[in-house]
This record gives sequence, structure tokens and C-alpha cells, in this order.
Amino acid sequence: MTLFGGSARAPASDQRPPRSSRRKPVSLGFYIVAAMTVIVSFFPTVWIFLTSIKTEADIYAWPVQYLPDPVTLENYLDILNETPELLGYILNSFIVATTTTFVILACGGLAAYSLGRLTYRGRNFILILILAVSMFPPLALLPSLFNMFLELRMINTYSGLIIGHAGLYTPIAVWILTNFFKTVPHEIEDAARVDGASSLRIFWSIILPLSVPGLISTGLIVFIFSWNEFPLSLVLMSDNFMRTAPVGISLFPGEYSFPWEIITAATMLTILPILVISGVFQDRLIGGLTAGSGK
Amino acid sequence: MKYANRAGLTFLVPALLIIAFVLLFPIFQTIVLSFGRNSTSVFIGYEYAGLANYQRLLNTPRFITSLNNTILFTAVTVPIELVIGIGLALVLDRNFRGKGLVRMAVLFPWALPTALNALMWRWMFNTEFGLFNSMLSDIGLIADRINWLGAIPSAMHMMMFVSIWKTSSFMALLLLAGLQTIPDDLYEAGSVDGTTRLSEFRFITLPLLKPAILVSVLLRTMDAMRAFELPFNLTDGGPLTSTETLSLYAYRAIFQYVNFNLGSSAILIQFIIIMTISVFYILMIRRGEM
Repeated sequence: MTLFGGSARAPASDQRPPRSSRRKPVSLGFYIVAAMTVIVSFFPTVWIFLTSIKTEADIYAWPVQYLPDPVTLENYLDILNETPELLGYILNSFIVATTTTFVILACGGLAAYSLGRLTYRGRNFILILILAVSMFPPLALLPSLFNMFLELRMINTYSGLIIGHAGLYTPIAVWILTNFFKTVPHEIEDAARVDGASSLRIFWSIILPLSVPGLISTGLIVFIFSWNEFPLSLVLMSDNFMRTAPVGISLFPGEYSFPWEIITAATMLTILPILVISGVFQDRLIGGLTAGSGK
Repeated sequence: MKYANRAGLTFLVPALLIIAFVLLFPIFQTIVLSFGRNSTSVFIGYEYAGLANYQRLLNTPRFITSLNNTILFTAVTVPIELVIGIGLALVLDRNFRGKGLVRMAVLFPWALPTALNALMWRWMFNTEFGLFNSMLSDIGLIADRINWLGAIPSAMHMMMFVSIWKTSSFMALLLLAGLQTIPDDLYEAGSVDGTTRLSEFRFITLPLLKPAILVSVLLRTMDAMRAFELPFNLTDGGPLTSTETLSLYAYRAIFQYVNFNLGSSAILIQFIIIMTISVFYILMIRRGEM
């Protein structure tokens, strides 16, 4: 079912030799399109940042004051002093997303090695089953998961939400990692087999070290998914102090008032890791995404 | 060389256990619950009600509205995202100075949490102090401030706009993967034959990109059909129920009206629609491959 064969080995990068049409220098119009893309993409975040460093009086002003004058960190300090639960949400998100990532890499990695490099009956069936269940809308899990977790006393626990996220994103991780593991040359594994190494040993000492880029890609993607996840986090963490950042911030306003000065500052803090990851690890992310969709 | 290996099956156990616990069993239970009455579990006090929930849903105007909203939302956003996505992918497929920044700009909207992004736009669309109204009145397009998210149908339009802004980039990344599998020789041959940019796109790029287009449209359609946190945080389904999606309707049936069975049926109807579209697309992809 390869649709874009070999895409796992060809992440978007500048290293490829230029094609004929690409050798032509890019035109001014091209740069205008590129610049527009950058502006449109960062525009909302820039505005939220500018709002977060304005005084309350400047935020609620008409005509809108475009640039902060004076610049103030008051809103960020207010989070620290008056609404520390917002920092708690971010900490919760961090605990859940980090642990989820490692759980998925461990379980999904083993499964992907098995599905990608070993042969046995039922292998394709399992791959397709994993893909099929991941097509179910996450909402379909909510009524059952909520009741199960209530019975098992796993509502409002880190382990509960971590298991939930791990289940949600293990399929995609298995798909991406299966593609990465397939690219490890078979000669190395063959040699180890001849020397009598077990499958677990080969996985640990050969496949994993040679797949570090793939593991990083998958780990980052899973981290972002878990960091951003909404429906499960909303339902499985109902206690105010256990909420993750996206849920906690969006429920923070309460019924009638919307304290935008606090919301924009908390939003900036929450999306900061995302901003850093998508800037620093863009090759890894794009490589992982294209490897996952290539099958 | 591949290895037939019993150990292979044991390696699957941890992943399959998690998937069974979080996905398989809950999905099974949701299906059973959708045929039940006053039941929250398949083990304790399950009461079979046949198709009663489904019949009730199809006679509930609010459900039909959410179904229509979801289909309209998907039908408008996905094609526009595809066109923008192809454009962005073509930009990223070329080499130029500052490419890293553009790539980050394409990646960033995809990586933002949808829920918080909805809040960001909600602030920008704010009636009294929003940037959107301010800029429009500065350039003289509007005289009075407009309540974009509080009116029908503009709330739906705004929701579509936010979705297109956020997910065109995802489309672009998937299409980029497709673009990069097009062999260089074809472009070389094309340039020998003296193709123009436009005919190169029409006769080389587009046909070879077709599988990637189908896959990305499929993934985006599935995603748009289950939009939840966008309406939840941007409009709360309002005004009235003009932006209430199927997922939001099901969520409210389950957790606000505490009717697990009705909510489960709503989700199942959503899933059947998604499945039908997916099978249709996969058949098209298969046919394209042969």
C-alpha cells in the first residue's frame, strides 16, 4: 500500500539536488508569497503576545492600541502571584505529555520492530487493525472511558490520562516507527543473527541506536499531540487542579467574564514549547509526519 | 531476509494491551451502549432498546442541524485547504534563502493546540476590542463594530476561516512528501521538451501528486468531520446551534444531558459517515495505483 514509496528516507530537506525547474532562480513574486505565508502564520501569535504585555487599560481600549505602551510584565506576574493554578495546568501538561511520550516510544517501538522487521502469520491483519481503530473519533471513547476510569478510580490521576493518551497515539507512533525501522539495513541484523543474538537484543543494540532520528521525530510528534489533546483531558481530569493547560485555560474564564490579559499570557506560556520545537526540530517533525502518512 | 519469529508476537503485547484497553473495548462498549436505554455500562444493568436512539436522533432537529453544520464545515474547508496546501507545498519544494523560516511558518499552525488557537482567534474577533474590527474600520470597510462570532451565518464563516488557517499547513506537509517522490528525470525530460511552468504543473506534477492529494484529503476529511475543540472554544456551538458540530452535540448529550446512549448513537452515526467516505476514498486510491 505504499503511496509515496521511500518517503521515510526522504524527509523534506535542502540536501536534494535541485530539479530543472528549481535551478531557475526564484522570482520576486515567489518571495512575496513566501513572506505572506510567514506573516499570516505568525500573525495571531504575535498579536496574542502583544496583548499579553499590555496594561489592562490598554487591552480594553477603543480604538485598539496596536503596540503596547508601556510594555508591562504585570500579566505574567499576576499569573505567578494570583492564579498559580495556571502554572499548575502547564506542569500537569508537562508531566502527562512527557510520560506519554516515553510510554508510547517503549510500547510502540517494540510493536513497530515486530511489525516492520519480523514475519509471522497475522502481521498484516494487526497493522490494519491498528490503523482501523485509530480512525474512530476520540469522542467515541469518551462515554466508555469515563465510566471505566470512574470504576477503576483513575479519574483525576496522571496515570489515567497518560494511559488514555498512550492509547490514542500508539497507533500513529507504530505506523511512523514501522517505516523508520524498515530503513535500517538488513545486513547488520543478519550478521547479528548469525552471531546468535536474540530479537530483543537486536532491537535494543542495533535497531534503536540506528533509528535515533526516527525515535526523535516520533517522540516530538507524540509530545505535541499529547500536549495539545483536548477531549480526553477535558473529561478524564475534572478536578480543577488536575487540568492540563489547553483545558484549564479554556475553562478558566468562568461563566461571564473573560480576563483576556491573563488568558493571553497563559496561552503564550503554553505555546512556547510548541514554538521552540517547531523552530528547532522542523526537519525531524516534517520527516516523521511524511513517514507516517506514506503508508 | 526476514525472520519468522515467535518473539515477534510477544513484542506486540504491550502496545496491543494499551490499544485494547483504551480503544478497542471502549469502542465496543460505545457501540453496545448506542443500542441501550438508561445504561452506562455493558456489564451492569444494561437494557437493550434496539434502534430507539437512532430513530430519536433522526427526528431531533438539533441533531440534524449539527449533522448539516458538520457536513457544510467539511465540504467548504477541505477543498480550500487543498488548494492552499498545494500552493504552500510547491513553495516548500523549492530551494531559496530563508526556507527554514517559511518551513517553520508552515509547521507552526499545525503544531498549535487547536483549543488555545480557537481562544486566540476569539480574542481577535472580539466585538468591542478585537483586532479584526479595528483593522477593518481603519481601512474603512466597516463603520460599526461587528459581532462576528455572535451572528448567523458569520460565526460559521469565522469557524471555517480559523480551520483553514490552521490546517492548510498540514495539507501542505503531506503534499510535500508526495512532491518529493516525483522523479527528477520527468522534469528534466519536460524541460528538454520545452514545457512551461503551467504545463509542467498540469501534466507532470498534478497527475503524479494524485495519490498524495487523495490521502491528504482523506485524512483532513476525517479530521474535519469530528471537529470538537474548535467550536467548543471559538463559539460554544452558537449562536443558537449554528456552529454546533456532531462531536459537540454528542459531547453535550453525554455529559450535559447525561444520556450516554443517545450520545453514543450520535457518535456512531458520525463514524458510519466517516467510514463511508473513507472507503470511497480508499477505493479511489487503490484504483489510482493500478
